[in-house]
Amino acid sequence: MSDIQLKNLTKSYGTYTAVAGIDLKIGEGEFFSLLGPSGCGKSTTLRMIAGFIRPTSGEIFIGSDEVTALPPEKRDIGIVFQNYAIFPHMSVAENIAFGLKLRKRPKEEVRSKVKAALQQVGLAGYEDRYQRQLSGGEQQRVALARVLVTEPRILLLDEPLSALDKSLREEMKYWIKDLQKRLGITTVYVTHDQDEALTMSDRIGVMQKARVVQVGTPEEIYERPKTLFVTTFIGHSNVIDVTVVSKGPDMMVVLDGRKLPTRGPENLEAGRAAKLVVRPENVLINPDARASVTLSAKVIGESYQGAIVRYRLGIGAQEIIAERQNSIGNERFSPGAEVMIGWDPGMTEVLAT
Amino acid sequence: MAPAPRKAMSEPGLWWLCLPAAAVFVVFFVIPVASLFGLSFNKSVAGVISYSNELTFDNFVRIFTRATYYEAILRSIWIAAVVSVTSLAFGYPLAYLIAKTTHPGRNTLLMILVLSSMQLDMVIRLFGLMVLFGDNGLINGFLLYLGLISRPLPLMYNTFGVIVGLVQITLPFMVLSLIGIIKAIHPSLEEAARSLGASRLQAFFSIVLPLSMPGILAGALLVFALSISSYVVPALMGGWKVIVLPIHIYQQIAEVGRWQFGAAIAVVLFVTSVIAVAIYHQAAARTSGGRT
Ligand SMILES: Nc1ncnc2c1ncn2[C@@H]1O[C@H](COP(=O)(O)OP(=O)(O)OP(=O)(O)O)[C@@H](O)[C@H]1O
Ligand SMILES: [Mg+2]
Repeated sequence: MSDIQLKNLTKSYGTYTAVAGIDLKIGEGEFFSLLGPSGCGKSTTLRMIAGFIRPTSGEIFIGSDEVTALPPEKRDIGIVFQNYAIFPHMSVAENIAFGLKLRKRPKEEVRSKVKAALQQVGLAGYEDRYQRQLSGGEQQRVALARVLVTEPRILLLDEPLSALDKSLREEMKYWIKDLQKRLGITTVYVTHDQDEALTMSDRIGVMQKARVVQVGTPEEIYERPKTLFVTTFIGHSNVIDVTVVSKGPDMMVVLDGRKLPTRGPENLEAGRAAKLVVRPENVLINPDARASVTLSAKVIGESYQGAIVRYRLGIGAQEIIAERQNSIGNERFSPGAEVMIGWDPGMTEVLAT
Repeated sequence: MAPAPRKAMSEPGLWWLCLPAAAVFVVFFVIPVASLFGLSFNKSVAGVISYSNELTFDNFVRIFTRATYYEAILRSIWIAAVVSVTSLAFGYPLAYLIAKTTHPGRNTLLMILVLSSMQLDMVIRLFGLMVLFGDNGLINGFLLYLGLISRPLPLMYNTFGVIVGLVQITLPFMVLSLIGIIKAIHPSLEEAARSLGASRLQAFFSIVLPLSMPGILAGALLVFALSISSYVVPALMGGWKVIVLPIHIYQQIAEVGRWQFGAAIAVVLFVTSVIAVAIYHQAAARTSGGRT
């Protein structure tokens, strides 16, 4: 098992740059997700680590070895594909034995390891099945078992859950995470699904247009987004037009004629237009004393979502969203109602436009 | 998983859709061939095509008691088999290349190259080969000019020439049978094998080749059937010296006018081909684990 280092990793196709100078350190045993919209270069990055794509420039280290020029079979990696890539002409047992046979392990050892691997992924007794006799979730498990018996140094997963239906996806999310934790294997997980990234990862690298724009724990990414892209890509955010009054940790902004305390970076000068970012679940309606910032607002619309109720609220000419738990005793508001709204300044962020 | 395609035949009221094809098949294939085969049980009389009620196996006895005929049977099978293998050996790499070329321009160019050879009539293509392969042809001319040989190499009017001609004719069929199958092998299968420790060659032989089997079997079968029944190629490239069954049939019917005996040879050719295909199919099914 090993850590991974990417140094200024770049891939260009003609004049198009699919991956532009990525620098990353992924720690030993870490579950690291590359999260970003379609076409941002996640798969390209993963496939360069795997050795299927030759980088245009930059270096890749697995442990202390530079692997940039090595073919995939020499890298000692395991990769699980979106379509699982179970060999259709081999039984489950033969699929799992494939890597061991290439390593010329004795027959007895192969058999016992295949059995143990199937046990590990909860598919004991599936030895003689073929791909066409397996469900998507079972193929997924076989693909993982096939990779894990070879005891690779790192595990690479490219959108492994996207072909599964919703409930199975939920189940597999936790199952994969548990397995990864148990084995302590360094894992790079590619996804465009923020829920997967947030629940599974130790750290997330958010990618946008061929670059990694922010790296951090799920909490940091969700609560301390560094750019507007990150905050809008991960979950919902209210992005409100404000004007900066004073900068720094005690930053003040003006919204709808009122001065509000918040937080923001040092490079936003007073007088500049900026965006105030606050998550819908942090917008409180008719708050108690906890909220040190209060504004008057008008309910524009209400939509019932089951566990939560979502309100569209007007502040001056701007509209924001608030989400409230739909628990017993929580008051509901009808469109047209005048309410006070508030939030904790610590849960807001000012970002450059 | 994709839903299973609905079967048109089990769809009530749609069975008549196969009537036109069935009618064409019966009128233009079953009836003429069956009547020809029927003739084979009549006594052989030059110039007579009408049926008589006197049934006889004389024609077949003659075929299997004369060396010239059963040698022709063996020669036909042998040549068709060699052509199948050769066509596969040349066709597979080409089909692989076309299947793996993602660049749309290059892909189209390669496809045109393969298909263009099917645009010209077989006879014209064979004349082209003759220009190249004849005793005074380009190849021999060039080698003689260089002084590498002192007399023309026997490239034509022999079994070699027939095989070259048949490979040339059948190659596009082989390539077309293979391309679809190779394309359908998802690249991630090969990549999965590589990541598990297989070299490029190991991945090819353990994954791509076995998964190409249906295409290989279909292509080889098609080429075999085309080769064993070909008359034009042995006639032109063999110069009447490579006597295969279709040549006998042509001679008996067109030159001697003994339709009944020609028909008997045709029956033997047909049965031989069917038996060879059946044996091949059995063997193939066994080697590919019943996945054809
Ligand atoms: N062989 C190629 N030639 C040219 N451009 C390519 C090639 N492969 C990928 N690209 C481009 O590089 C960009 C990044 O592709 P990549 O597959 O890494 O995206 P991704 O982030 O994995 O997206 P998705 O979530 O849709 O899988 C895309 O815009 C794609 O069009
Ligand atoms: Mg991708």
